[in-house]
Amino acid sequence: MTTRSLATGVALFAGLVFAPAGSYAQNSALTPFDKLPDWSGTWAMTGGTVFDRATQTGKGGSIDPGVREHPPYNEIYEKKYAEHLKLRDADRYPDVQTNCGVPSGFPRILNLPDAYEFVVRPDVFYIIAENGGNTMRVYTDGRKLPGKEDTWGTYTGVSVGHWEGDTLVWETVGLKGDRDNDSILDRTGLVISDEARITTRMRKIDGQTLEARMTIEDPKALTKPWNVTKQFKKGKPGLFLYDYGCAENNRNPVDPATGQTHTLGSDGKLIK
Amino acid sequence: MKSAFKVSFAALVVAVGIQTALAHHSSAGFSEGTRVVSGTIKEFQFRNPHSWIQVNVADESGKVTEWSVEWGSPNQLGRDGIRPSTFPTGTQITIKLRPDLSGHPIGIFVGAKMSDGKIIGKWSDE
Repeated sequence: MTTRSLATGVALFAGLVFAPAGSYAQNSALTPFDKLPDWSGTWAMTGGTVFDRATQTGKGGSIDPGVREHPPYNEIYEKKYAEHLKLRDADRYPDVQTNCGVPSGFPRILNLPDAYEFVVRPDVFYIIAENGGNTMRVYTDGRKLPGKEDTWGTYTGVSVGHWEGDTLVWETVGLKGDRDNDSILDRTGLVISDEARITTRMRKIDGQTLEARMTIEDPKALTKPWNVTKQFKKGKPGLFLYDYGCAENNRNPVDPATGQTHTLGSDGKLIK
Repeated sequence: MKSAFKVSFAALVVAVGIQTALAHHSSAGFSEGTRVVSGTIKEFQFRNPHSWIQVNVADESGKVTEWSVEWGSPNQLGRDGIRPSTFPTGTQITIKLRPDLSGHPIGIFVGAKMSDGKIIGKWSDE
């Protein structure tokens, strides 16, 4: 193929895939900018990183022995969670993020430290988490969720949503869950499966607080829907957010075989 | 004796309220008690996912051990006023940390007293 014909082919493909179907301003199904709520600024999750604090038992955070949550797991997933907890108690449950390789995924993206931005547009809603960095997209342009054949399991899945007044309601499918053992909800070892379907309702409950109420349905892992609420407080005006190059200076690699978190010295050599 | 070594161990002192943010990995394996070491700053690595203060600490015989003291991400710390220049190389520092339970010269930063008396982080246990 000549350079010219290759270029022509690429241009044709790009035209087919990326041709605008009309700008969002011309799509009457979209909620216009001036009717959307103001979620601008920066936000930070309240509380620690125990995913479902409402059902937490044991004192402390997700790394502390004895701390666990109580999702309505079936027998198989309760057993799996118990195994993870045992490893966590021995400081041998590897958090896949510590090796800086994979995204947090959903719903863990709503369970992160550091700052957030929630970007509201007529056609799409973006969650931008500084930690990670992690990004999630929720399409609000009227499209439908793809069918099962058209999803293959990703960390944040696929999400479509719509506005009900000042509440954004979205559904998420196509999650990989614990299929490859590289996606968790928190460091207790909480997981969901690749059959999870999550409905999230997010709104401002006062001038300084955003709330996300999630209902997780998962026929493979749960005996009934699991409701979890996360809240986010608005940051001071004018804060700068930064990139988060996890691999920039990661001195804590995890040994996947043992789950042990190592520490490297300033010379890159193993200390422990 | 030319040693700058000074260590006190407060194993019984639980550092209540210290919420050192190690978002990137678990802080299990570190004591809840604190220890104080004094030495010379070798390097301040103000980089993600965590910042590290490298401190050369000499014992009574003059043997130098390099301590690695881990703190939060520069993103968090930068918003709290910490800068790459906060810990200048070559200056003296007394640093309070949560030591690694296995005895390696590693710790999680709690607070520091600089040679000019300035306190950074949390120093008192109140």
